[in-house]
Amino acid sequence: MEEEEDQQKLPDLVKELVHRLLSQNLPSNSPPINPKSPEFRNSLRYALRILSSRLTPSVAPDAAAIADSIKRRLATHARSSDALSFADLFSKFASKAQSVNNKWAVIYLLKIISEDRHKTASAAATTTSLLPNLAFSEPASNKGWSNGVLLVSKDPDNRRDVAFREFVNLVREENEVLEEVIVRDVLYACQGVDGSFVKFESESKRYVIPESVRVPRGIRSMVHNLCELGVLFRKVSGYISQSMDRFPNEDVGTVGQAFCSALQDEFSEYYKLLAVLEAQASNPIPLVSESASSGNYLSLRRLAVWLAEPLVKMRLMADLVEKCRVLRGGAMAGAIHLHAQHGDPLVHEFMRRLLQRVCSSLFEMVRRWVLEGELEDIFAEFFIVGQPVKAESLWREGYRLHDAMLPSFIPPSLAQRILRTGKSINFLRVCCEDRGWADAATEVITDNEVTARRGGFGYGETDTLEFLVDKAAKRIDKHLLDVIFKRYKFKEHCLAIKQYLLLGQGDFVQYLMDIVGPELSEPANTISSFKLSGLLETAIRASNAQYDDPEILDRLRVKMMPHESGDRGWDVFSLEYDARVPLDTVFTESVMARYLRIFNFLWKLKRVEHALTGAWKTMKPNCITSNSFTRLQHAVKMQLVSTLRRCQVLWVEINHFISNLQYYIMFEVLEISWSNFLAEMEVAKDLDDLLAAHEKYLHSIVEKSLLGDLSQSLYKSLLVIFDLILRFRSRADRLYEGIHELQSRITESSLSSRDQNKTRSQRQLNDKSAEQGSWIVDGRKALTQRAGEFLRNMEQDLDAIAKEYSSLQEEFISQLPVQQHVDLKFLFFRLDFNEFYGRFCPSM
Amino acid sequence: MPREIITLQVGQCGNQIGMEFWKQLCLEHGISKDGILEDFATQGGDRKDVFFYQADDQHYIPRSLLIDLEPRVINGIQNSDYRNLYNHENIFVSDHGGGAGNNWASGYDQGQHVEEEIMDMIDREADGSDSLEGFVLCHSIAGGTGSGMGSYLLETLNDRYSKKLVQTYSVFPNQMETSDVVVQPYNSLLTLKRLTLNADCVVVLDNTALNRIAVERLHLSNPTFAQTNSLVSTVMSASTTTLRYPGYMNNDLVGLLASLIPTPRCHFLMTGYTPLTVERQANVIRKTTVLDVMRRLLQAKNIMVSSYARTKDASQAKYISILNIIQGEVDPTQVHESLQRIRERKLVNFIEWGPASIQVALSRKSPYVQTAHRVSGLMLASHTSIRHLFSRTLSQYEKLRKKQAFIDAYRKFPMFADNDLSEFDESRDIIESLVDEYKACESPDYIKWGMEDPNNMLTGEGNATGSLDPKSVA
Repeated sequence: MEEEEDQQKLPDLVKELVHRLLSQNLPSNSPPINPKSPEFRNSLRYALRILSSRLTPSVAPDAAAIADSIKRRLATHARSSDALSFADLFSKFASKAQSVNNKWAVIYLLKIISEDRHKTASAAATTTSLLPNLAFSEPASNKGWSNGVLLVSKDPDNRRDVAFREFVNLVREENEVLEEVIVRDVLYACQGVDGSFVKFESESKRYVIPESVRVPRGIRSMVHNLCELGVLFRKVSGYISQSMDRFPNEDVGTVGQAFCSALQDEFSEYYKLLAVLEAQASNPIPLVSESASSGNYLSLRRLAVWLAEPLVKMRLMADLVEKCRVLRGGAMAGAIHLHAQHGDPLVHEFMRRLLQRVCSSLFEMVRRWVLEGELEDIFAEFFIVGQPVKAESLWREGYRLHDAMLPSFIPPSLAQRILRTGKSINFLRVCCEDRGWADAATEVITDNEVTARRGGFGYGETDTLEFLVDKAAKRIDKHLLDVIFKRYKFKEHCLAIKQYLLLGQGDFVQYLMDIVGPELSEPANTISSFKLSGLLETAIRASNAQYDDPEILDRLRVKMMPHESGDRGWDVFSLEYDARVPLDTVFTESVMARYLRIFNFLWKLKRVEHALTGAWKTMKPNCITSNSFTRLQHAVKMQLVSTLRRCQVLWVEINHFISNLQYYIMFEVLEISWSNFLAEMEVAKDLDDLLAAHEKYLHSIVEKSLLGDLSQSLYKSLLVIFDLILRFRSRADRLYEGIHELQSRITESSLSSRDQNKTRSQRQLNDKSAEQGSWIVDGRKALTQRAGEFLRNMEQDLDAIAKEYSSLQEEFISQLPVQQHVDLKFLFFRLDFNEFYGRFCPSM
Repeated sequence: MPREIITLQVGQCGNQIGMEFWKQLCLEHGISKDGILEDFATQGGDRKDVFFYQADDQHYIPRSLLIDLEPRVINGIQNSDYRNLYNHENIFVSDHGGGAGNNWASGYDQGQHVEEEIMDMIDREADGSDSLEGFVLCHSIAGGTGSGMGSYLLETLNDRYSKKLVQTYSVFPNQMETSDVVVQPYNSLLTLKRLTLNADCVVVLDNTALNRIAVERLHLSNPTFAQTNSLVSTVMSASTTTLRYPGYMNNDLVGLLASLIPTPRCHFLMTGYTPLTVERQANVIRKTTVLDVMRRLLQAKNIMVSSYARTKDASQAKYISILNIIQGEVDPTQVHESLQRIRERKLVNFIEWGPASIQVALSRKSPYVQTAHRVSGLMLASHTSIRHLFSRTLSQYEKLRKKQAFIDAYRKFPMFADNDLSEFDESRDIIESLVDEYKACESPDYIKWGMEDPNNMLTGEGNATGSLDPKSVA
């Protein structure tokens, strides 16, 4: 009955449908469709023909195949998750919607519509585009095919079907095992479980179907290929469980943990897929001949399609696991990073996701280190390692980069900055007892709120990291330098060292030399450093040093170096400067030792200078009034003149040498190094810059003042010259002592001979001659003779000294031009300013 | 132990340049006219105690003796703004106040008579010093008091403080204009003998050259004494900067002088200063670099010793020593460059018998004195051409002496009593030998000079005691 009714209703329904379609296609201003018109009748006839025809699409009426193609399409458009959810929906549809008979047709329709929509989306098509084209004028519509639909006769006795059925029988005979079973086994294998046929062979480390089972070679190799996934899965999951087991006790570290958990997340995606596939696998695989519409089944080939993408990921993971097995921390992150540089967007995206997880703990460490100076690294994974050291070496040795743990996505220069920033904070905290750094860090945080938060940045945002580090470094370093310069008066201390240890404070040095000198001539072991400290104090109070900051003066001490037997005070005396925390980071023991060497050299030089001016004072212009000697014999007078001249000329030469050496030390060495140092101090951005500047300063002084390794022989010959000069000084003193004595003898004798009545002189004369007076007692002749002899001896001595001196000096000067250091040429230039030496030795 | 230096200003000229000198020092150290340290003068770094000492009330007193035989100049000082600066116990004015009448012999004789009083003052000052380095005498050589009494003081100091240095700033008379002091050549000659024998260092301030500089460099048509004296005080204060602002080198007088005076006899120094300005004068400000300053210092026009003395035999004349004291903001690297440039251009001619070089001392500039120039420089040099200055004195003396002119004025005093003019002859011989020695320095054979002919070197007959014991003469 109902069927009958339906039959009757159908033509009406069709008629109504055609009418609607046509009226929708009409332009808006045309008259309404006349149901009697021939056009309408034509269209109706065409529609009826379509409906009654046996048209089928060219594709096989297989719902599963269409679903597959949709999925593939989604997957190629990088919507794998959509593909998955589609697969899910489809399986539900296939199994639950029993009432729908021709499921494939429904899906096919949906697919066509979606494709249609894609094609016409840009054209902003008319509403009709969704509908079959029934336009009257379309002659093509009469050609019997449309939209790729091909007319195939559906004859049950079709010869092809017969052939298919035969083929199926053949296949069934050939295979011992059903494909469904193998598919299920493969799915098991992919989860690392042995199936009933596909088993893990531990020798070759593969999943294989035992030889005993008869399967075609094609299937066998396919299974083998598919089961690579299982092998890889075993490897990765083995690593995960191994790491997890080890975790609390052994050094997997947070990075390792993060890695494992990221891998596990990937696994859960994978498991989801497998679950879907397993559900599909329960459907029987239809044979070619069987009804194509039986839907959603899983063949090995389909499986291969499904598993293609997971295989790529799994390979990557296995690869990573292999590479990272022995690595930890930053090294692990770095190793993973090396794989992230991949052209395949899929791989790239996957790696990025993974790395973000893996690196988050590392980045958190960086953040805390840079902003708080905390080294939160229980598992030693960070690329910065600390070690307990004394405060003075905190900066240099307290922290260092652990290169192995430095991930390659952090460039070394950035790593250095990171290291220094945290180090600065720690230095401020430990050595400077400063709290102000926290404010600086807070400023950085408020300025960069987003990024400075916990987890504010991660892998792939190296720029952000660099930016934050830069900001933090700038603030912290500036603060640190402020503290060093303002609170700890770095510059003032450097200046104090220059003034006292490098003898820049001339008046102080002079007094010290004056009062300590006599003491230092004693044997070293008899000198009390306590007394010397007192003398140092006196020198400070007597000179302008007294106006210096007491805090600075407090640090100036006398230091007695260890002495050997025979050493004089001169050999062991030196000054030292107590730098104290935190400046002892700059003025370390080795630095102070070098300052000490410079001091010793300068002090020796000053001593020689002191001796020379002392000698000049004894021979100064108004000391000898030649008139006294007019009564002397001509020969003796000549002797006197020539001895005095000998002494003076030698003094001129020595003094020239010493004073030019000093000018060289002052201008070419001390002042220039100092002004360079000051300039570099101004532009120093962090403590490392400052340390480098100071190192350069000290190095240039050491090198230029002949204390470097290259100029050792020069330095030695200089010391020999110094000794000779001291000997010259004592000679000159004796000469003048003798001359003064002679002078007074002559005066007295001439007085006494001239004016016997002067009782005072007489008494004096008598006193003197009674005391020692062989000079006078023997009379004028003997006096003259003795004087001549004395002068002759002195001149011989001086000649010897002069000879020794000029050979020493010649040796010294001849070494100068061949020195490596360019500034030593300046010394030569100074010494030979009036080309005195060049004149005698043209080779120079 | 500040290596104190006691200044003796003797005679009219000596007191005038002395006063200018102390004015300048007060300015540079931030000391007020009453000797009180100004409030702004706290930057330190300077040594005031070389030239000043502090009284109980903390005010600074110059280590200075003001000595004159007539009261005019000293009264002027005592009525000036600076009257409270000086220690009044250190002022000596002769009782009769008649001066020395431009007569060396009178000055010398009066010096002898007041020796005790003056030596008491000197001793007191010396005792007040921890480590007295020496004396500075300011005087002129042409008048009566500065030359005669100055000479006597030189001999006495040499005798009593033989270990101490004696430096003089000696003003040589202006020889371009006819002087009202006709006996100038006598006075100069007699003083020169003492400067040669009894001083360790003589800084020659040639009034002829000072006038020339004032006219040519400062464009003053008719320079006053005050103006030339301000040049002198500039030189004096500049030459003591390294003592007052301690640095790495040249921190004491002996260190400063030793290298300048390698041969004891040749201890007469020339000075040069650049850039020169006089108060209230808006000079064109030139570029001043170290090289500029050092080069200008070698130019004859900036040197404060008459150029006529230096053009003569100029090619033969040689520098025995040079010390440039450069003040101001100086980049030490420039020093070497400048030296190199000077040597390349052969701007300086040194002795050939020994090594010599231009010594450069960098010194701080007083922060309290504003100058238009970044860098200024003083040159102290021993140059052989200075002998022409002495030769000229000698020849002028010979002219007068030949005529026996004005000798009578000298005969009145004991040294020349009984027509004993041997002092003149001896002085002449000594100056002659000095000139010879300077001349010998120009030759490379200086080392052998004087060995052949003893009379060149050791002159003088008669007064066997020489200057060693002047008391025995009396």
